[in-house]
Amino acid sequence: MVARLAHPRVLLALGLFLVGAVLAFHAWNGPSDAMLVPRFVLTLWCGVALAITLVEMSRVTGLGSWSLSTLLVLMAAMLIAAIAVASLGFLLPALPLVALTLWLFRLHRPLPLAVGTLAIAGGLWFLFHHVLLIRLPTLLTSGAL
Amino acid sequence: MDIILAAVGDAFTWQALLAIVVGTWAGIIIGGLPGLGSVVGLTIFLPFTFGMDTITGMALLIGVYCGSVYGGSITAILINTPGTPQSAATTFDGYPMTQQGRIGEALGWATFASFFGGVLSCVILIFCAPQLAKFAVNFGSIEVFALICLAMMCIVGVSKDSIMKGLVCGMIGFFLSMVGADPITGANRFTFGSYALSSGLTLIPVVVGAFALSEIFMRFASRDDPGAKIPEAKLRFPRLGEWFKRVIELVRGSLIGSFIGALPGTGAAAAAFISYATAQKLSPRREHMGQGEPDGIIASESSNNAVTGSSFIPTLALGIPGDVVTAMMMGAMVIHGITPGVRLMVDQAQTVYALFVVLIIVNVAMLILSKPSIGLFRYLFRLHQGYVMAAIVMFSFIGAATVRGNPLDLVVAAVTGILAYALRRAGYPLAPLVIGMVLGPELESSLRRGLLIKNGDFLGFFTHSGISMALFSLLALFIVWTVWSSLTQWRQSSANARRAESDASK
Repeated sequence: MVARLAHPRVLLALGLFLVGAVLAFHAWNGPSDAMLVPRFVLTLWCGVALAITLVEMSRVTGLGSWSLSTLLVLMAAMLIAAIAVASLGFLLPALPLVALTLWLFRLHRPLPLAVGTLAIAGGLWFLFHHVLLIRLPTLLTSGAL
Repeated sequence: MDIILAAVGDAFTWQALLAIVVGTWAGIIIGGLPGLGSVVGLTIFLPFTFGMDTITGMALLIGVYCGSVYGGSITAILINTPGTPQSAATTFDGYPMTQQGRIGEALGWATFASFFGGVLSCVILIFCAPQLAKFAVNFGSIEVFALICLAMMCIVGVSKDSIMKGLVCGMIGFFLSMVGADPITGANRFTFGSYALSSGLTLIPVVVGAFALSEIFMRFASRDDPGAKIPEAKLRFPRLGEWFKRVIELVRGSLIGSFIGALPGTGAAAAAFISYATAQKLSPRREHMGQGEPDGIIASESSNNAVTGSSFIPTLALGIPGDVVTAMMMGAMVIHGITPGVRLMVDQAQTVYALFVVLIIVNVAMLILSKPSIGLFRYLFRLHQGYVMAAIVMFSFIGAATVRGNPLDLVVAAVTGILAYALRRAGYPLAPLVIGMVLGPELESSLRRGLLIKNGDFLGFFTHSGISMALFSLLALFIVWTVWSSLTQWRQSSANARRAESDASK
């Protein structure tokens, strides 16, 4: 039973059910006018997610695993960069993110890695922010960086 | 007739033709880059039109708009990442065709269907714009609610493997669209005290996360698999016999797109899903849809490109922009001295007809420029996979950051990407998530407005008007049909299983 609960598919379905339940609780305690549709949608979400959890539990066998080790690094880097953009501007978080993406996709030679990072992160930032004047989040109030 | 001939003369100047070529080609490339769509394209090119005359300036912008809607299909087919939300439905059959090695055929159908839809909607626009505008006015909240309910039925269609998983993804998408201010009362919902969340979540970051970023994670997870390499893009137009065989699908998709485009506030993404849902019910090859059937691409691409023409109907005839893109186009028209509204066809008929002619030329240009554009993507995708993936990450981030300048959108894209990866690995279809997010807001606001009109009497919706009665009857028919075909399928598969069991015991 515990092994089945720890299976990623069951965990995901259970997670969806729990998130749905918390949101549904919030919706049922909110103003009835604004929460009319959310109540219906979230209650249905909970019901379906619970059904999926039960079905997945009956189907899975053993402790499944998703090999995530290096993928987690990429996911974390993307999330950190996305959060950092608000305070550091677009360019500074983009440079290490692009370098890491290139590295993880097996581009290990220093020159192509450096050129790729500068061209993709720096080049696109310069193109959009300074040439096309489509302003991206900035570090400096002057908007230069 | 004199007006039309004069309008043709206005549209066929070398400046206008050059603007069409530049705008369309740039639009195709911008549309093909994940995260960047029509809005970014128009934002880039709008300032360039200030020094141009009215027709040339509008030709450049119309080229960018139509080109970007078509361009989104290229990456949707090649790498399962729609360049624009309008092309999300193209991934359902486009990417399976790529996986089967039918990439040229898929791109050919997408290009031809886009051209066909665009031209047919222009012809409809020229001859029926006033009548269609009058009919569209009959579509009030209750009729739109019924129409969106019909469109929601395609969640069932795209979730063939697991309807429950599709439903829960649809609910997630619907929920995401409800975060922020309530459209009727203005009360904050699910913001949990966060100021950044009070403006709600927009579609682009969610689409970027669900398709582009999750695809990067998927490709990263399978980077040692030789089959995961991006295939070489090529284009093969359908032969006369082939397109004649599917002419009904082409016409149906184009008509649906033309009609949906004429309704303010629906847009090309909704049209593509509605058209796809209809094709799932009416196509003679419907059992293959979702597994690499050209009818799916035709339904999506002919309808979303038909919207580009017909979306001008409420914009020009009524002065009502349907979405952000048409609002930008309307702004550009005002800058160039065209005042949309009921008097437009009387006061500036020649200019309006010239724009219609420009629309037709843009669609022809799109057909001609598709080959060099796809050639460019072929060159780009020949680079090391790392460069392509890093560029997609950057374009996705730029697209999410520029939608409305809210840094929260980047976090939404990243979180959606991670969640979408987990959902894909567990066999949840992602298309319903986007369908829920695209159609959810219109479904909710039309339902709430309808309830206000009917004093809370929901049953009154069914007898509100002839149109609503027809649409609800069609919806009931669709539900019965879906349940019936699911039951038949279930019976058939259990009979097959029993037969296999008895054969094995013998």
